[in-house]
Amino acid sequence: MKEAGRNSAGRTRSKRQGRREFLIKSGGLLAAGAFGAVPLRGWAAEPINIGALYPTTGSMAQIGIGCVAAAKLAVDMVNDGGGIKSLGGAKLNLIISDVQSDTTVTRTETDRLITGNKLSAIHGCYASALTLIASEVAERAKVPLITGSSSDQLNKGRTYTFTPFARASQFARAQLQMSKLVSDTPKVAVIFENTAFGTSTSNGLKELAPAEGVEIVMFEPYSAGFTDASPLINKVKSSGANALFSVSYLNDLILIVRTVKQFGLNVSINGGSGGFVIPDFYKNVGKLAEGLQGVAHWNHDVSEDAQKVNAEFKKRTGDFAFEYAGGLVAQTFMLADALERAGSADPQKVREALSTLDVSSGYAAMAPGGKVKFGPDGKNIYGHPVGVQWQNGDLASVFPKEDARAPLMKL
Amino acid sequence: MTKGSSLRNAILLAIGIAVLIGLPMVVKSSFAIDIFIRILLFAFIGTAWNLMGGYAKQLSLGHAAYFGLGAYTSTILQINYDVSPWIGMVAGGVVAMLASLPIGWLCFRLRGPYFTIATIATAQALMLIFLKFRDFAWGAEGTTIPNLGSAPLMMQFETKAAYYYVALGLLLLGLLITWLIERSWIGYYLVAIGEDEDAAEAIGVNAPKMKRDIYMISAFLTALAGTFYTQYIYFIDPATAFSFNISIEAALVSIVGGIGTLWGPLIGTVLLETTSTLLQSWLGSSIGGVQLTVYSLILMAVILWRPTGLIGIIGELRQRFAAKKPARA
Amino acid sequence: MWETVAQAVINGLLIGGIYALVSIGVTLIFGVVKIVNFAQGEFVMIGMYISFFLANQFGIDPLLSLFVSMPVLFVAGVLIQHFLIRRVLGPNDMPQIFLTFALSLLLLNLALMLFTANYRTVHTSYSDEAFHLAGLYIPVAKLIAFVVAMVLSGLLWLFLHTTDLGRAMRAASQNRDVAMLMGINPNRVFCVALGIALALAGAAGSLLMPFYSAYPFVGQVFVLMAFVAVVLGTLGNVMGALIASLMMGIAESLGIQYVGADSGLIVVFAMLLLTLAFKPTGLGGGRAR
Repeated sequence: MKEAGRNSAGRTRSKRQGRREFLIKSGGLLAAGAFGAVPLRGWAAEPINIGALYPTTGSMAQIGIGCVAAAKLAVDMVNDGGGIKSLGGAKLNLIISDVQSDTTVTRTETDRLITGNKLSAIHGCYASALTLIASEVAERAKVPLITGSSSDQLNKGRTYTFTPFARASQFARAQLQMSKLVSDTPKVAVIFENTAFGTSTSNGLKELAPAEGVEIVMFEPYSAGFTDASPLINKVKSSGANALFSVSYLNDLILIVRTVKQFGLNVSINGGSGGFVIPDFYKNVGKLAEGLQGVAHWNHDVSEDAQKVNAEFKKRTGDFAFEYAGGLVAQTFMLADALERAGSADPQKVREALSTLDVSSGYAAMAPGGKVKFGPDGKNIYGHPVGVQWQNGDLASVFPKEDARAPLMKL
Repeated sequence: MTKGSSLRNAILLAIGIAVLIGLPMVVKSSFAIDIFIRILLFAFIGTAWNLMGGYAKQLSLGHAAYFGLGAYTSTILQINYDVSPWIGMVAGGVVAMLASLPIGWLCFRLRGPYFTIATIATAQALMLIFLKFRDFAWGAEGTTIPNLGSAPLMMQFETKAAYYYVALGLLLLGLLITWLIERSWIGYYLVAIGEDEDAAEAIGVNAPKMKRDIYMISAFLTALAGTFYTQYIYFIDPATAFSFNISIEAALVSIVGGIGTLWGPLIGTVLLETTSTLLQSWLGSSIGGVQLTVYSLILMAVILWRPTGLIGIIGELRQRFAAKKPARA
Repeated sequence: MWETVAQAVINGLLIGGIYALVSIGVTLIFGVVKIVNFAQGEFVMIGMYISFFLANQFGIDPLLSLFVSMPVLFVAGVLIQHFLIRRVLGPNDMPQIFLTFALSLLLLNLALMLFTANYRTVHTSYSDEAFHLAGLYIPVAKLIAFVVAMVLSGLLWLFLHTTDLGRAMRAASQNRDVAMLMGINPNRVFCVALGIALALAGAAGSLLMPFYSAYPFVGQVFVLMAFVAVVLGTLGNVMGALIASLMMGIAESLGIQYVGADSGLIVVFAMLLLTLAFKPTGLGGGRAR
């Protein structure tokens, strides 16, 4: 790829030769520009638009706001590092849209974002239910979407969706294995919110439990946003479980944990992912969270790069970088890597470059296991979750052995 | 109406329709077309609601029940049996009509706020049923419509403009039906029932039958909208399909625009949707809650100032100009 | 086995007390002013935030903050009736419904703007404790909430049946025109009704605070149950709303236990629809109008 600045090199030769060469080169550039092969204003590189769709209002607002903060941080990091060098140092331009924690709004906002801007890629939307819709729109519009949402549905029948992190079914296996850390004969009660997030994860639990030697004694979907967790916990109690897996969003989790305490129920709680692994959980539940286990697709102690991101995020927002936020930063760097290799802001070329992504260092590889490579279904073939535990108000990675950064706290 | 004014009205109408048809060819912004589609669709839903709520004054806040039934019928038929959503749309309408019979039986025995709450409850109950039973309809997760690219026979189009025309067609259908009813004896009887049901019955109007019939028509039309909406957003789930917001908006646009009038719902939709979209683009990306706060303040102002709807303003303005003319001449 | 049932009943009863506080307010407003207040849940939310801030800033226990939240909401009720609702009272009930609906939207989004969507929790010494009796667990905070709710309901009943103003309210609710002829000022009565109803909502909020987190949408969660209770207990019938609320709490709890964890609401709605089908005026007796 010729860089526009090179025509000055031609001038050091004899004037006539230099001028001819200059004319040829600039003529070539103009012709190439006319065919769209080269950005005409190559040396004043146009910014590259990245769309970001998150719920900054509505029931998932707190997490959405954190995600947006992480998105901005990531773009700043990429731009401060020189932008996309193969595109003349082009900077990433983040275009944010609020999906209001609502499926219909997600549909229209994704559409609006894509049709109103020349986007090279999109990332979003935190909640699987919302991401599923955004990915439908992106697929039809042929714009690549990268996401940390865990629903296995996201890898079915799509070529423009990329999921660099653990899938819901993998979370399920990890949760089952972690239950054996606490008890030799785990009897698990599984309760889950009944939308895409809860259903994916819990299906995985049901399928994998027998192979992992875990007995499931209760398996119930519930409607999120209940007034009282007591009936649910009462049911858990009567099932005789000694472990509780709850796949829930934050508000329900808070109630569940508190109610378990009120009932004096002796169960080890594995809160899964979702609302469990964000700072707000601890803020609202306090000491009751100590020792509770969960799973995450990213944690801030995964690597040194992650710790750096965490420090910066803490400076900007006052809280530690939670799972989705940190993953989001990695995703931005994956997009930057793809843009570098594609040498173009064209979404289809970016998609091609993403599909051949293969990194094991740098911020783009900031995932448990430290490697990212996409398979044909958009899944990261090295992707796996990390088991975490609340220790002293912070989340520590404790499982599996290779990813553990702190010893498991025994209650 | 004098011959001159009805001719004038016909010309205005023709111009209006021509403008509506030509709009997508002139306006290229995808975002704008999306807004127009929303306006057309909700004006249609409002028009369907208006038949019952505006003329017969049966304040139903549960029309989402039919919207959802229409949406789910056509989606189930499409995904499980490969039936075209065009056919599914009509099938959905029929299902809605049939559903309106038991729901009507339950609700029409009640008056006033009891009726309203009962309608809300039935829509909620349907949502709960569809949330719970995953076997016939995907439960709470919902489903996306398979991507068929350009498939007009399966109600999937590559251009937004095509969806616009379908929505326009639906609205014109709704307006036509409303106009026909308004000028016929059915319309007069409905208004009589709306004003005073007991008095209407006393002079021989078969109120229960008329309420039942208009409810069926209203339900049928609302269900058509449900199918279209699902095809447009590529997605369905119980929370979206049976959303209380749809029920509210169906009634709200008529009330703001002018209940019991032909053009009321359309006017109301234009006003509300435009306001809401403008607020969203001005204030949407700042602190959460700002644009809806302003929206609700505007709504309250309209309700306090003009409880019967803004269409009254047009009539008043006309009167004022008519009164001024002699003075000038 | 019986332990599970008994626990389920207790759980339902306790949360039913909260539903009662919310639904009594709705039914009172309906009975006297003849409008449906869609914004009742948002006043519960306001009560919760008031308690949260008092607890957070001054360390005041949420139960004590009842003495602040109730008067504040009482005044709010009077103002809302006097300046807003009065203007849309009339034969047409559509503006009334949409006014309270718009009010609900307004309050919800104001809260979102001012307080953000974050959950606010208060931990008191008894927040997560429970009494342990014969194998049954009775969470302390919920029991207190239940007792206070019953006391307030009892006080309201006394007010309506023994004081002049209360009797005036009941008269106005039964027949407004005759009440006016007897010299009762409807607006004054309506103001008091709205004030009391909102005060009860505020009380519900304060009582919830020790065991439930506050956030802008919290009102919506409770208002649905409240409305069902109001209809079940007959619109306008305070005792009816109370009993219906308790019944519903228990039905929901048993439904979750024995039908399915996501079926609590279905059971409640089944109750509602059956009642509407066979006794449309509700179980509390009285006329439908």
